[in-house]
Amino acid sequence: MTLIHESNRRGFLGVMGKAGLSTFATSAVGVNLGIVDVAVAQTGKRAVTPFRFAIIADPHLYSAKDHVFDKQLEDAVAQVNAMATQPDFVLITGDVAHHGELDQMMKGKAILSKLKAPIRSIPGEHDWYLDMGAAWRGAFGSETWSFDLKGVHFIGLNSILTPDFWTAAKLTPAQRRDWFMPLNSPVPGVWGVHEKQLEWLKKDVAKISADVPVVIFTHSPLWDYYPRWNFQVSDSKEVRDILGKFVNVMAYHGHVHHTVFNRIGNMTSVGTMSTSWPWPYPPVALPYPEFQQNRADPSNTSDGMGSAFVAMDERGGAFVQHQPFADTLGPAMKNGFKV
Amino acid sequence: MTTRQTLIHRLAVPLAALVMCAAAADVMAREPFTADELKAKEDKLLSSVKRGYDMWYGARADMANNGLACANCHPDAAATNPQTFPKFMPMFNKVVPYREMVNWCILNPQGGKALDVNSEDMTALEAYSFYLHKGVKIDTGQVNRQTAGAEPNTARGFVTKGTGIGFDK
Repeated sequence: MTLIHESNRRGFLGVMGKAGLSTFATSAVGVNLGIVDVAVAQTGKRAVTPFRFAIIADPHLYSAKDHVFDKQLEDAVAQVNAMATQPDFVLITGDVAHHGELDQMMKGKAILSKLKAPIRSIPGEHDWYLDMGAAWRGAFGSETWSFDLKGVHFIGLNSILTPDFWTAAKLTPAQRRDWFMPLNSPVPGVWGVHEKQLEWLKKDVAKISADVPVVIFTHSPLWDYYPRWNFQVSDSKEVRDILGKFVNVMAYHGHVHHTVFNRIGNMTSVGTMSTSWPWPYPPVALPYPEFQQNRADPSNTSDGMGSAFVAMDERGGAFVQHQPFADTLGPAMKNGFKV
Repeated sequence: MTTRQTLIHRLAVPLAALVMCAAAADVMAREPFTADELKAKEDKLLSSVKRGYDMWYGARADMANNGLACANCHPDAAATNPQTFPKFMPMFNKVVPYREMVNWCILNPQGGKALDVNSEDMTALEAYSFYLHKGVKIDTGQVNRQTAGAEPNTARGFVTKGTGIGFDK
């Protein structure tokens, strides 16, 4: 497949600053997806009808009015709305409400409601542990779901479940929530999807043909990236085993607040930037170091953040384009990449 | 004055100084620290590290006006790189020590009130960050490279009594 070519993206982004975010997104994405569509049109029989979806990750909204993260989420919404061809849906990878408070959830829902495309959501730990998902469910619906779209089977799972440590310790809901605030909290232990969702997943995919492309969304990555920061799902191997019969499985996740990439068996995993702040890379070797984004400049409040677009092709593959607010991508990602 | 007398005269002052230094050293010399003394020193350090850890995770409210803490961007003090300071930082347009960069973060992304650079709280923030970089090579001036600090080997990155809740035993 021919990838888009931008010989001078940094200069292009400099123009963007003057011309406005919307102008940039409309132009850039229109170019990207146009080339994808041209490429897939040359491949013959269509198992999948080409389409696209967008990803917005980790807004982490606070209660304060006009908080900087509100603006950054609004920028991501503007990026997506400016796509020349609108996505079929926008995936929100969780952590909408930093403290899980109802007002934060409602603020997130209000900003995300400005998206032209429908949204699909999965929860993050920040959304969940104040009220065990009540406010999140009220705003965004079920945390475990699947649907079929244009020949692709999509799955969403809640990957932030932990054993109950709060009942015996008689913690209040706020105390329970607060133990999930630090990325490296010593109390909750590692997260997972747990048995109930594994059983659901087995049934969900039981009758689906192995040649159907599968896309799965979780908050945290479905591989052991860095468990100390819960850059993992404790039962990810079980998830991968259940999905092992499929020819092509793509996993997209948030939580890590930076770009990361991996392949395990039939599963390709893509981590996306947040709209709030960038996490540093943990002290482990990346399996694909070329997918490490540049270090963010702390004096640029937009650096290291953004959204992502995914264009599915007719063979069930995809073309991924991270869309940073500033110029933070290296050569392997700058012009998008195939999954 | 003979040559011999001149030599003695010239050596007299340095020899006297040497004797005085030897006497002073004899007074100041001490046995190596005992295990109890070392533990007391380590406890004092860990107390400062603990204070720094608490502040890192938001214990001091005036360090931010937007809810952000050091740990928002620097879990386990990752990407703080204290081992690279003093170094030139573009936002200052000069070479600065680590504690000046800490105050820059408090003032800018966190929108808070800068700490007194000579305060115990600033020392505590330094103590926490440096402690989590134990064993990392000093690399003064290094810039523009992703670094992630050292791998912490305890739940909080330093020895402490656990809460007894969940996995924090």
